[in-house]
Amino acid sequence: MTRADVVVLVLALALLPLLYVKFWHHGAAGEQVRIRVDGKPWKVVSLAHDRRVTVPGALGDSVLEIKDGAVRFIASPCASKFCIHSGWLHDGGAFTACLPNRVSIEVIGARVRYDAINF
Amino acid sequence: MEFSVQPDRTDHRIAWLAALAITIHIAESALPNPLPGVKPGLANVVTIAVLCLYGWRMAAWVSLLRVLVGSLLLGTFLSPTFVLSLAGALASITTLGAASALSAHLLPGRGLGPAGYSLLAAMAHIAGQFYSAYWLFIPHAALFTLLPVLMTLAVILGLINGIITRTMLQRLSPSSPS
Amino acid sequence: MTSVRRIATAALVTGAFVLTLTACGPKPDPVHKEQILSMGTLVNITLWGVNDKLAQKAFSAANEDFNYMQTAYNPWKPGPMGRTNQLLALDAWFSANPSILPLIKRAKTLYHSSDGLFDPAIGRLIGLWGFHSDTLPKGPPPKQAAIERLLAEHPTMDDVEIKGIRMRATNAAVQVDTGGFAKGYAVDRVVDHLRRLGVHNAIVDAGGDLRAIGSRGGAPWRIGIRDPGGKGILAEVDVKGDQSVFTSGVYERFYTYHGKRYHHIIDPRTGYPARGTTSATVIGTDGTVADAAATALLIAGPSQWHHIAESMGVKYAMLVASDGTVYMNPAMAKRIHFQHKPAKVVVSEPL
Repeated sequence: MTRADVVVLVLALALLPLLYVKFWHHGAAGEQVRIRVDGKPWKVVSLAHDRRVTVPGALGDSVLEIKDGAVRFIASPCASKFCIHSGWLHDGGAFTACLPNRVSIEVIGARVRYDAINF
Repeated sequence: MEFSVQPDRTDHRIAWLAALAITIHIAESALPNPLPGVKPGLANVVTIAVLCLYGWRMAAWVSLLRVLVGSLLLGTFLSPTFVLSLAGALASITTLGAASALSAHLLPGRGLGPAGYSLLAAMAHIAGQFYSAYWLFIPHAALFTLLPVLMTLAVILGLINGIITRTMLQRLSPSSPS
Repeated sequence: MTSVRRIATAALVTGAFVLTLTACGPKPDPVHKEQILSMGTLVNITLWGVNDKLAQKAFSAANEDFNYMQTAYNPWKPGPMGRTNQLLALDAWFSANPSILPLIKRAKTLYHSSDGLFDPAIGRLIGLWGFHSDTLPKGPPPKQAAIERLLAEHPTMDDVEIKGIRMRATNAAVQVDTGGFAKGYAVDRVVDHLRRLGVHNAIVDAGGDLRAIGSRGGAPWRIGIRDPGGKGILAEVDVKGDQSVFTSGVYERFYTYHGKRYHHIIDPRTGYPARGTTSATVIGTDGTVADAAATALLIAGPSQWHHIAESMGVKYAMLVASDGTVYMNPAMAKRIHFQHKPAKVVVSEPL
């Protein structure tokens, strides 16, 4: 193996992880949740780190929980708690909202699994 | 005026090298494929060896003939498989051309060897096949999740083939460059 | 010096390559998305394959249309439908509002094809249960006597007569609640408008009930159907061409009183919220029909849904019963892909 060969090999091996990072982030890493208040984008939060997000809405604060690459409502000032009952969202395109509080969340990512959610 | 085509020594050489490559290619096709579209590509050993021994032009001929005749013999001529093979071969020939030219000019005598060429050829081949598959047959973003895997295999197989080629060249003439 | 050149060559060659590879990624889809707050819900509009200018035009048009219809079709607030309800109670002919007349005509047709299960004329009953206002009632539920009194008056869409542009109700108890089909109707109008503007690939999703036209660049739109039990996505279905996917669910509007749940889909036969079904999903072309059918099928329940679906011309239907059993017709079973396999699936006779 000439030195030049080795350099080519090293560069090729360096390229590989870049390809994985670029084309494989349809898993938890790289996915985010777009939070809208009153229909307008409020914040985009990564799903990669477990955390809680408090969202100020029309009736009060809704609280979102992010865990293991998924997101859900855990508290909301609405009466029906439909948003909470929607459960965990992980797939790109998954969407739910607390209508009375005017807060909506949508999972966005490189690979969108659903174009719309029917419920 | 008489006009005859006489095959010369170079033509003969190309012919039997191509035949060698084609034979290896067909023999390999008989083996089961671990992954669709991915073959060890042992016939490339011939291509790279030809590149190192006889230069790029010969290697280009051998490679193209291998794809063409190989597809005729296997019955895949003009099929999507053929298109992909051809795209891959063209990509790797072009890359090898550029690589060998650069290598000869910038690093005379100490340039790329069979391992380096084989690696580049394998990666170019897979890239050529992948993109033609994406543009011509499956224009879905989901296809790209395969690319990292295919490229990993290309690097591995390219390296292995390169080492085989190098060993073979050393056996053929112990003093040839490696 | 020499090793630099060595590295430079190898780098140049592999570099040109790396550049091509990383620069070439999948072509981004020309998708435009916007969210509008209207019709008491969140409307998500997705457009494919239009330039920015047309997308903006389309979103403005949709916004205007939805806002207009929100006021126009509200049965209990001042506006065309509200006024119509006031006039219907007077038992006299009046000139129908031009945006309301077609809506009432559709309601009458749907009342018949659903065997009376879809009956928007029971607006008074719905009001008795407290579901007129935007905010949810807290209970307690109305007394049986009050319900029976309203039931006895037997208001139906048949009591609404139309002659040309004039309308009247022969039963003063008639109050038309558009809730069961206004969304479908509104979505249909907006889709028509988008088409006229030159948009042929889009999804208009009004709070989860949607109509999808065209496709996503040749690939079908993938729609997720939420699990009524709240465990994420129950199933997914691909739609292409022109399809509406509407689901009526008991979880959409309800209140709990003393541990019991009362939801907003009132069975016109009993005067009480429909029992036995959690949700009904219909796939069809027309949004208005799909919306009304989903309501009717939910009321029909596991025993009667098939018959009603047939008479309403529904080709794809799925019911999730209160016990978790999923009922559907063979055509629907073929189309739908379950993410979480339900405990029990019953495939009916073909529709």
